[in-house]
Parts: sequence; C-alpha cells; structure tokens
Amino acid sequence: METEFSDLLCIGAGLAGERVAVEAASQGFKALCLSLVPPRRSHSSAAQGGMQAALGNCAMGEGDSPDVHFEDTVKGSDWGCDQEVARLFVETAPRAVREMAFWGIPWNRVVPGKSTYFKGGKQYEKVEAKEKEGLITARSFGGTAKWRTCYTSDGTGHTLLYTMDNKVVELGVKVHDRMEAISLIHDGETCMGAVVRDLKTGKLRAYLAKATLIATGGYGRIYRETTNAVINEGAGAIIALDTGIVPIGNPEAVQFHPTGIVPTHILVTEGCRGDGGTLLDVNEDRFMPEYEPEKAELASRDVVSRWMIHHIRRGLGVKGHYGDHLWLDIRHLGAHHIKTKLREVEEICNNFLGIDPITQLIPVRPAQHYTMAGVRTDKDGAAYGLKGLFAAGEAACWDLHGFNRLGGNSLAETVVAGKIVGEKIAEFLKGYEVSFKTSVIRDCMVRDLERIERLVSCKDGNEDVYRIRNAMQDELMDRVGIFRNGTDLQKAVDNLEEIYERAKKVGIRSNWIGASPELTLAIKIQGMVRLALCVAYGALKRTESRGCHAREDFEARNDRDWLNRTLATWKEGDSLPTLNYEPASRVIALPPGSRGYGESKIISADEETSEEA
Amino acid sequence: MGRNLKFNIFRYNPLDSRSVPHTDSFSLEETDSMTLFIALTRIREEQDPSLQFDFCCRAGICGSCAMVINGRPGLACKTLTRELPDEITLMPLPVFKLIGDLSVDTGTWFRAMNEKVGSWIHTDKTLDPDAHEERMDNALAEEIYELERCVECGCCVASCGTANMREDFVGAVALNRIARFMLDPRDQRKEREYFEVIGTDEGIFGCMGLLACEDVCPKELPLQDQLGILRRKMGWSAVKHLFRFG
Amino acid sequence: MAIDTTIYDRSSGVSSAILDWLQMLTGAGLILFMWSHMVLVASVNLGAGAMNTLARFFEDTYMAQVGGPLIGATFLLHFILAARKVPFRTEQQSTIWKHTRALHHLDTWLWLVQAFTAMIILIMGSIHMWTVLTDLPITAAKSAARIQGGFWLVFYLILLPMVELHVGIGFYRIGVKWGFIKRSNRKGLKRFENILTGIFILIGLITIIRFMTLSI
Ligand SMILES: Cc1cc2nc3c(=O)[nH]c(=O)nc-3n(C[C@H](O)[C@H](O)[C@H](O)COP(=O)(O)OP(=O)(O)OC[C@H]3O[C@@H](n4cnc5c(N)ncnc54)[C@H](O)[C@@H]3O)c2cc1C
Ligand code: HEM
Ligand code: HEM
Ligand code: SF4
Ligand code: F3S
Ligand code: FES
Repeated sequence: METEFSDLLCIGAGLAGERVAVEAASQGFKALCLSLVPPRRSHSSAAQGGMQAALGNCAMGEGDSPDVHFEDTVKGSDWGCDQEVARLFVETAPRAVREMAFWGIPWNRVVPGKSTYFKGGKQYEKVEAKEKEGLITARSFGGTAKWRTCYTSDGTGHTLLYTMDNKVVELGVKVHDRMEAISLIHDGETCMGAVVRDLKTGKLRAYLAKATLIATGGYGRIYRETTNAVINEGAGAIIALDTGIVPIGNPEAVQFHPTGIVPTHILVTEGCRGDGGTLLDVNEDRFMPEYEPEKAELASRDVVSRWMIHHIRRGLGVKGHYGDHLWLDIRHLGAHHIKTKLREVEEICNNFLGIDPITQLIPVRPAQHYTMAGVRTDKDGAAYGLKGLFAAGEAACWDLHGFNRLGGNSLAETVVAGKIVGEKIAEFLKGYEVSFKTSVIRDCMVRDLERIERLVSCKDGNEDVYRIRNAMQDELMDRVGIFRNGTDLQKAVDNLEEIYERAKKVGIRSNWIGASPELTLAIKIQGMVRLALCVAYGALKRTESRGCHAREDFEARNDRDWLNRTLATWKEGDSLPTLNYEPASRVIALPPGSRGYGESKIISADEETSEEA
Repeated sequence: MGRNLKFNIFRYNPLDSRSVPHTDSFSLEETDSMTLFIALTRIREEQDPSLQFDFCCRAGICGSCAMVINGRPGLACKTLTRELPDEITLMPLPVFKLIGDLSVDTGTWFRAMNEKVGSWIHTDKTLDPDAHEERMDNALAEEIYELERCVECGCCVASCGTANMREDFVGAVALNRIARFMLDPRDQRKEREYFEVIGTDEGIFGCMGLLACEDVCPKELPLQDQLGILRRKMGWSAVKHLFRFG
Repeated sequence: MAIDTTIYDRSSGVSSAILDWLQMLTGAGLILFMWSHMVLVASVNLGAGAMNTLARFFEDTYMAQVGGPLIGATFLLHFILAARKVPFRTEQQSTIWKHTRALHHLDTWLWLVQAFTAMIILIMGSIHMWTVLTDLPITAAKSAARIQGGFWLVFYLILLPMVELHVGIGFYRIGVKWGFIKRSNRKGLKRFENILTGIFILIGLITIIRFMTLSI
C-alpha cells in the first residue's frame, strides 16, 4: 500500500485549497494538495466577474466600508448567514485583495478623469479622483450598494488562481493532480487523511495527514443545467456525508444564475448586467424594471432568476430549439467596450453560439450556479463532528452566504476563508500529534477496494451509470429548481429514492484497467444521489421562502420558524438523510428585515399566528 | 437533419498490456451548435464508456481539452463541428506524456515549466497588510493581463516543430510567461537573471520562428510579438555582457 | 521541454546568444552577397560588356580574389551555425516530417523547405564556387560557354530556385525572429517576400536564357 504523509492534506487545489496550503506552508508545515485536474484548471479559473472587497477607491465606491459590505452580505443571504463569519469576512477582504496584489494580480486600476458608464441601458458620467490614480478599482455587481467588485478585465478567477498557484510553486508545495479522494480515513472521532484514487493509473493510495481540508468546490453537476465545470460532482461533500457524522449545511440552498447561454449553460458574466446590459423578452421589451423598479437587472441573482422564469411562464419567453429562453442585450455598450472589458463574453458568443454580441442578442436562461450548501464548519473552518477535518471555499458551509451568495463574494470567500482557516489550521497543527492507526487505515482501504471490486465484477447488477446520473439530474432540474412546491418536492424525493436503489446496482461495462472514466463516475454515483436527496429533502422540509429557496406554496420568509440552518447527515443504511437544525446566527448584529429588493413577504420572529397557505 | 459525422479517434491504454495504439471510428448525427465536447461526451456515454479524454470547464477557459483536431492542436470544447468536414480525426497532443486515448499529462509538464521559469513575483519586499496597495498604471495592468491570459493548454508546444524535435525546448508558453514578469515592476529580477533562464538554446534562441504557436493559440496571445521582443532584449543583453566582461 | 529538475550547468553563458547573432549575421551577409551576385550576373542582360566591366572591376580591386574565399568562409560558418538546428537524427527527421505533414501550417513547411534547400545549396554552391573561383577571371563569354555546355544549365536550373527560396524564407525568418515582422504586418510582409522571391527567380531565369543565347 502506497502511503503519503503530510501535516496538511488539502483535498482540492482551487483558490480555497491552495490559499490554505500557502498559509500552512508559509508557517513551516508540510502541506500537500490533491486535485482532479492540474491545479490551474480548477473551476475557480472560470470566474470572470470579480471579487468583493470594500476598498472604496473608485468614484462609485466612495464611502464604502466593511460595514456597508456587511450589510449587503447579510441582506443578500436573506439573514441566513452566520453574522460573526460575515463580519470577519468583510474586515479581512480588503487585506486579502491587497495581498493578492502584492503576489502579482494585475488588478484593474483607477484612471482619473471623466468616463462614462451604463446602467440599465442608459449612459451616465462619473469622475475618478486624481489622488486615487493607480489604486485598485472596482465595478458594479448585483445586490451591492457600492461599486465594490475588484477585477482584472474578465479573467479575475483566472488571474487569482494563476497567482495563487505561482505562490504554491514558489513555496514548493506539492500538488498531486489527477488524484481523487474517494473516502475519508477516520475512526469516528479523528480524521487522519483520505483514500485517494490515482486518475492516471486507477490505483488507490492512502494520504495520511494531521489535518485534512475539504476544498473541493461546488457541485452543480448534480443538476442537468449548470454553469459549473464537469468535474464539479460533489466528491468533497460526498466523502464528508459518508462519514455519517459530518453534516452538510443548508443543502437546499442552491443558487441559479440568470444568464447561462442556451444550450450549453456557459455563464456569461454578471458584469454584462453590471456594465449596463439589459434583459429582453420575446417582443424585445425590457421587463425587469416592471418587477424591480429600482434595481431592475441589478437585483440579486435569485431575484433576477426568479423573475426571468416568471416571465417565461407568462408566455413571454422566446421559443427555441432547446426550450424557452430570454435575450441578454449588450449591443448598446459598443464594440470597444465589449472587445476590451467583456472580451470573454464576446468569445463565448462567437465560439459556442456562432453569434456576434455587438450586433446580436444573446439567448439566456437561468442555470444552476452556486452551492451555498457545503460541509458545515465553525468560524475557524473546523468541520462539525470530526477532529482534524476542515473545509473552506465553495465546498464549505462556513456560512457566509446563507441562502443566497452575492456575486463576487465567493471568490473573495476563497481567499479570505483560505487565509483565516489556514491560520487556524496552523495553530491547530502546532504541537498536535496524532497516531495513525494502521487498522483504521487498512479497513478504509479494504472497504474501498471491495467497493471497486463489486463494481467491476458487476456483482450487484449492471445498471448503466450514465443513465442513473441523468435521471438524477433531470429530477433535480425539473422539481428542485428555482421555483419549488411541496407536491413536486415530494415526488422528487420519492423518485430519487428509487434512483438511489438503482444506483446501488451499477456495474462497469467497459475496460476498467487504468483511469477508466466510467469507473470514476460509478465510484461516486451513490454519493451523488445521496447528495441530491439531501437537497430535495431539505427543500421539502423547509416550508418557507428564503433567498434562492423559493417555495410557491410558502411564499413568505418565515423568521419565526425558519431562521435556522439545515444540517443533513446520512446514517449508514438509510435511504434518506437525517435533518437537524441550528440557529442561523448566534450573534445578530443586523436583525432580520427587508432586503430592499425582491418580493418581501415576511413572517417576523415575534408574530404569533401562522398564516401558512 | 444534421450531417452524419465520422470520428476517427486514436486509442491506446498504456496500462493495459493487451492494448496497442490504433484508431477507432464512431459515427454520430450532428446537432445544432454541436461542439466536440458534446460529441465526445455522447460517444462516451452512448457508444464506448472506456473512451478517455479531458474536459473541465467546457467553456474554453481552463485549457484542459487541447487535442489534435484534423492535424491541428486546438481546444475541443470550443470547436464547433459545423466548422469541420464530415470526417474528423482526433489525436492526443504530442510532446506531453500520454495517459490514455486523447488524454495527456499536461500537469506535470506545466508544473516543471513554472518551476523552471520561476513563475512568480521575485521580490525582497514584505507586505504591510494595512498599507495601501502599491499604485500601478491601469494601462500597464492591462498589458500584463494580456500576457497572463494564457491557459496553459499546451497547444503552442504541441504545434511547435522545435518542441517536437527537441524535448529540452521550453516552448512559447514559457517564453511568454517570462515576458509577463519582465513587464511587471513588482518583479525585481534583473535582465541578467531572466537571461539565465531563457538566454539559451533551450530558451529564446532555440525558437526558429515557426509561428505555429502564434497561429494555434486558442487565446490568441501575442506570442509572435513577445518572442521577437524577447530575442532582441536577450540578444542585446548578451552583447552588453560580452563587452563588459569579455 | 525535458521534465528534469537537474540544475543545468549554465557555464555556457552567452554562447547561445552569440551563436544566434552570428547565424543571423552570416545569413544576412549571405543575402547581401546574393543580391550583389545577382547584380553582377544579371548585368549580362545589359550586354556582355556590362558584365565584363563589373567583373573586371571586382578583380582589379582584388575583391573577387579575397572576397570569394571570404564568402566561401561565411558560407561554411553559416552552414555550421545553422546546422545546429537541422535534424540529423532519423528519429528527429521523422518526427518533424510527420508533424509538418499533419499540421497544415505554411510557416512550418517553409522551415522544412529552408532546411532542405540548405543541403542542396551546401553541395551545389560549393561546387559552383570552386568552379568559378578556380577559373578566374570571370567573363560573360566563359559563363555563357559553361551554360551552353548543358550540364551547367541543368545545374543552375536546380540551384537557382533553391537559393532564392532559401534566401527569401531566410529574410522573412530574420524579420520574424528578431521582431521586425509583427503580428500586425506579418501578412503584408510575407506577401512582399513571396513576390520578391518570384521576381528574383524570374530575373535569374532571364539571365540563364540570356547566357544560352549569347554568342560566344
Ligand atoms: C462560471 C462561474 C463564474 C463565477 N464567477 C464568479 C465571480 O465572478 N465572482 C465570484 O466571486 N465568484 C464567482 N464564481 C464562484 C467561484 O468561482 C467559486 O465559488 C470559487 O472559485 C470556488 O473555489 P474553490 O476553491 O472553493 O473550488 P474550485 O476552484 O472549484 O476547486 C475545487 C478543487 O477541488 C478539486 N477536487 C474536487 N473534488 C476532488 C476530490 N474528490 N479529490 C481531490 N480533489 C478534488 C478540484 O480538482 C479543484 O482543484 C463563479 C462560478 C462559476 C461556475
Ligand atoms: C548563399 C547561401 C545562403 C544564404 C544567403 C542563406 C541565408 C540564410 C538566412 C538569411 C537565414 C535566416 C537566418 C536566421 O534565421 O537567423 C538562413 C537560415 C538557415 N540557413 Fe541559410 N543561407 C545560405 C546557405 C545555407 C547553407 C549552405 C545551409 C546549409 C546547411 C543553410 C542552412 C540554413 C538553415 C538550416 C537555416 C535555418 C536556421 C533557423 O531557422 O534557425 N543555409 N539562411
Ligand atoms: C564568390 C563566390 C561566387 C562567385 C564569384 C560567383 C559567380 C557566378 C558567376 C560568374 C555566375 C554566372 C554563371 C557561370 O559563370 O557559371 C554565377 C551564377 C550563379 N551563381 Fe554564383 N558565384 C558565387 C557564389 C555563389 C553562391 C554562394 C551561390 C549560391 C549558393 C551562387 C549561385 C549561383 C546561381 C544560382 C547562378 C545562376 C545565376 C542566375 O541564373 O542568375 N553563386 N555565379
Ligand atoms: S500560450 Fe496560448 S497556446 Fe500556449 S499554452 Fe498559453 S494559451 Fe495555450
Ligand atoms: S512554433 Fe516554435 S519555433 Fe518559435 S515561433 Fe513558435 S516557438
Ligand atoms: S474544457 Fe476548459 S478549455 Fe476546454
């Protein structure tokens, strides 16, 4: 049995995983990262828009401060976030941005003088101050009171990830790519590392570590239509859930992005709307001001997505080959703006749709985008339930985002949480000794080997893994999407339970020697369905609407009964998760109120009677 | 009704002792806006689950899916089948180590490249976390970004005759990376230090100006211009050095 | 790039750079020479007298006697320098050949043409220089006699396009490698270069015909 030792094992080498590794390594610990793909291909690279930090350098960001950022974040989360964490986050974000600048990000900078910008299709003028020249500038993003989103053209995630990985290379931190963690090694109390499958050879290896971090990103691929990369299949959440101890926080909190292109669901950045792009319907009429007079297209994404679907349901969508969609219009921004500031968008339209956004409309429809849900941790990033296990980034439920993440807050989360959790892990590692129990390691290894053996020998059946995955994706998309209701959710849960039974009968049909893509998926298919069940079941039980969780049968946000966080665990042998709840936030600096956008039906905490529909 | 496409795909599983390199053909009906990502995924899910290839972002951003498409390296996910003839031949990228079928190990190569060129800001300053960031001209920031857009897909390396013949040649991607850091005032390396890294036949003087890199780069990086600038800079640097010490 | 973490001994210092300079300079020198050579030989089109006068001028000033061997030396040096880039191992040859055939990329083909013509030029150019320089003085009549003999006609009909292609591509490549030809003007300059090569081949052919028809 091949074994690797380290102080810190980061499962995931996206922004969050690498930031934590960098922190630990800078403090002299041996950190090692695993990744499904070469680290720079992690999905963080796909983020185009930018990251939020209250620097207040640009004209439209004047007067910004962590306090304003805090308020935006809590409102954005629909009061579902942990306010202590949000506070910590907003205070650290400016420092994180500057640190990244120091490490090499070519942030766009303030250019003094007059310039024009678009908002809601109209042109305005602003004047940047001379004394701010050359400082990091920011752009507008949905759901924020100030322009706060720092960016590098439209490759913010790319430059952040490259710079972070440069740091990793500089510090000599090893990244083992094409390695997939398939289970955690633990004895019910302490986590000791992970069993890892080599995706080049198919061999298993044990990676032992004093501290293990899950930073595996989002898991949009349990949905059929998602902006996420194809590797975002939830392995991190699955191995945590499989412990039976570590809970997934708020599994039902799933964000949809308003502008995925049809049919491939590739995201076109929110920057399009931030810079003044508008949404049009079948008659090429702008409809968002009708629903959101003040913020229009710039309301937070759950709100925009919901109105889009609403509008389509009113029959005002554009009929197309791949179902109904709407139009995104950026033509009025002009060729120069599009070719410089929104070049990636232009490329996407040309390459994947064969249209020219300078003269043509872009077909869009909301698609799954972000999982606020994740491995539940405390504010230090330590996972509930197992000592030595941590989580950060999109894979974690730290819980900065509650029921809706603000655009630009997740890139910021990866580096901010990465920094904070990294420091905490370093503290944890100081003087910490763990004895790696060989029996535990062997048992974990044997269990995984057996699991694989059963799959390749078709011992339990020969169900086609792809068909099962597709069935699961359809179920979530169609019944656990943007609008939810009890009947559909119940049906989804029932169907998913059935799919789960079939998932247990998967067998490998092709040559499985080596990396075998079929086997790779088969190993996690049951876990994926379990995860899907957490989402559907969590959504069924939460009888209110909050953030992106929009129940048609419970339209109001119910702070009296549901100002809490779902904690889903999975007991071995069960066919449904066990749900528990904890208060959304122990500290409440900003009491629940109106978000200032979106429909606001609220049942406040002190209301006596229920008015449930 | 779409065309009937024929895919000839290179197959080889180095870990399977019974496997020999060969070509398999698959046919598929073309659909609207079909990309090679859609096509290959369908082939794997409907016809041969053992087919190996790499996709990640499927949006032309991450650089995972480079392969040789009808002779030319390119990103499969941003290649529309409608731009290709009825018969499509897919091969793995040369130069890189084969993992299986269309999948190659770019990770190891690029990590080594990044180590070799010292792909990070070299500075002896320390960060004051509470101070303002150092100022930078926006135009310069954008110029740096222009070179930083590389996605490490490996197309430039695979298409370069020099890199194919001589495995010690660092390739346009590494040279472009150096150019990026030379532009950056935060990096305190002197010309001499850059020269140490690329002023050799493995570096800029190994480049024969074949320009395939320039012509295939899916991100359209200005490789030709950067290579020219680097050769001049490094060339002068050598001459200066010769007169000073020689 | 070899994946090898060995720290190379960099004692070679600036040698790669200097060799590259020399390769370019010898190449550029040879281009200049070929152009002058063109003027000399093509002057026969203006009449045998013109060529003879030019040739006598070169000899009287000893430019032919000294310059000839000097060109020969440059020629050799350029060959030695450029040969560092030419694949001599069969494995490399087959790699580049397969690669180029698959790639459908003109500039890569051009390089192959350059390397191939180089070999022909090396052999034929040497023979030619030996023949001419050991039989000084140069006169239009002697040249015409040689060409009308038949062997040399065929010889030049092969060598001429080889040289012009090599020169043309070499000129373009110097521009590319040293950054005078940029993305923005590459297309235009490449066309210019092709036309120039064509014109030179044409003048060469006319000259050969002139020699054929020159009464000795
Ligand atoms: C299209 C798109 C655009 C976005 N734009 C923005 C934006 O403009 N602003 C913003 O703030 N946010 C944006 N986001 C969100 C943001 O990019 C992500 O939330 C964030 O980058 C996630 O980073 P991460 O480090 O947590 O995970 P990732 O970057 O996804 O990294 C996950 C890592 O885990 C590895 N991994 C996964 N499973 C395993 C396993 N089993 N074993 C080993 N390794 C594993 C992967 O290989 C990878 O290295 C966007 C998201 C998408 C999808
Ligand atoms: C009159 C004779 C010749 C002329 C005018 C000439 C001219 C040139 C020029 C201008 C270049 C470009 C230089 C550069 O890229 O740095 C070049 C390149 C080259 N020459 Fe010649 N050359 C001649 C003879 C030869 C001979 C005899 C050889 C024999 C091997 C040769 C082999 C090459 C090769 C291989 C290159 C390409 C080098 C590279 O791409 O790096 N040349 N030549
Ligand atoms: C110092 C050296 C050289 C001298 C003095 C010289 C001289 C001449 C002369 C006198 C001719 C006329 C034909 C003849 O007499 O046979 C000729 C033709 C020719 N030479 Fe040279 N030459 C020299 C070097 C070269 C080199 C290096 C090359 C190329 C590699 C070359 C290529 C040719 C060609 C192609 C022709 C035919 C010309 C035409 O038709 O325009 N020569 N040369
Ligand atoms: S320079 Fe272009 S071709 Fe080369 S690796 Fe980067 S993006 Fe790919
Ligand atoms: S193809 Fe190769 S030889 Fe130079 S110009 Fe590009 S690196
Ligand atoms: S899959 Fe990311 S570039 Fe093609």
